[in-house]
Amino acid sequence: MEILDPTTEAVTQTIAWAPRPASLSGKRVALIDNTKFNSDNLLVRIGNILKHEHGVAECRMFRKHNASVPAHPEIVAEMETWADLVVAGIGD
Amino acid sequence: MAATLTSKRLSVRDEADAIEMAYDKGWSDGLPVVPPTEGRVRAMLEGARLEANHQVGIIRDRAVVISAEKVAINAVMAGCKPEYFPIVVAAVEAIADHRWSYHGPGTSTGGAGVLMIVNGPIARPLDINAGDNLFGPGWRSNLTIGRAVRLVMRNVCGSRPGLLDRGTLGHPGKLSYVIAENEAESPWTPLHVERGFRAEQSAVTVVASDAPNQFYNQLSNTAEGVLTTLADNMRISGQVMGQSTYVVVLAGEHMHTIANDGWDKKRIRQFLFDNTQNSYAHLKRTGRMTGDIAAGDEQRMRPLTELENILIVAAGGRAGAFSCFIPGWGSAKSSQAVTKEIRS
Repeated sequence: MEILDPTTEAVTQTIAWAPRPASLSGKRVALIDNTKFNSDNLLVRIGNILKHEHGVAECRMFRKHNASVPAHPEIVAEMETWADLVVAGIGD
Repeated sequence: MAATLTSKRLSVRDEADAIEMAYDKGWSDGLPVVPPTEGRVRAMLEGARLEANHQVGIIRDRAVVISAEKVAINAVMAGCKPEYFPIVVAAVEAIADHRWSYHGPGTSTGGAGVLMIVNGPIARPLDINAGDNLFGPGWRSNLTIGRAVRLVMRNVCGSRPGLLDRGTLGHPGKLSYVIAENEAESPWTPLHVERGFRAEQSAVTVVASDAPNQFYNQLSNTAEGVLTTLADNMRISGQVMGQSTYVVVLAGEHMHTIANDGWDKKRIRQFLFDNTQNSYAHLKRTGRMTGDIAAGDEQRMRPLTELENILIVAAGGRAGAFSCFIPGWGSAKSSQAVTKEIRS
């Protein structure tokens, strides 16, 4: 007998990756705050390390509407024009 | 002509072999599944008169398109009858709705179940339980409809426990979490009518939810007495600070006590809103709100949730002075309750 596969077969697609910068020196870094308790405090510390130990010029916090949605288009557009790098991926 | 089924086919010796294969491939929630043969899957699709390539939903944040064929395969595996399929489809439409915000409750450490509340004329002929042992066990429709939705989440959307689904504790409702409102005996406006549907329509409301919290009041014979106990239990519950959706399920004896005092759902909701607030000082003292206690914090009150986030449902056994409330997952802003019409 035969049965049918219940899973979704992945569809291959090509994604254009941004090139990794050779150095962080002088770069502007966007930090995405997902709104969870202390995520902003953690990101401030990360920002300070990036500035003091890796020569990053400036860090700016961008706040999502809430933790369960992607960053909204307005802040993505702002990050695109302002930032060289983005730190995302805060969990619990 | 019926559309071709495009899913990959796998050969197995017999039904027992198919059940083991489902375990080996990680398709099961831990219980045996009904092997999804082409004949069974086609019968399931016919239950909602859907073509296999019909798009039931898209979860954009996960780049997943959910086809009727995949929903049907998972509904077969869950043990659904074809006549249940329209409810499964409506529930999947609801969890794919952007307001439900799949990526949160489908993945969160908070361990959300998908509470599904069925309203309207479809519930009775399909024997969807609204009475004794409301949350199970014992009813095929309740247990298999919810299981089908969870298997879609697992197999189509990728919410596998331990991988994308990171629930710290989970709860038994993550296997299946389906109830009907007891419209036949309820003195109140049905949930789906409060949410904009007509009484003669059938609808399912999905809520990303914690487990049920049962409360006891075997002494009061007034609405205020019963609801005072409920409010006291609710006040510190769920995420507390999150202002979640709350589903309040009022069973037979409590339902009659409250209705006999002339209280409708609107008045119940207002009472619960007014009597579940916490002081800022208490929230800070108990590690729920950040910051030091400031002047006025003992008197400054924070609602447990917004008035419109309290959903009232009449359901549960006739005997017993018990009812329950179910805190929603996260905040109501992060995942809203969504109601969809069941088209059968």
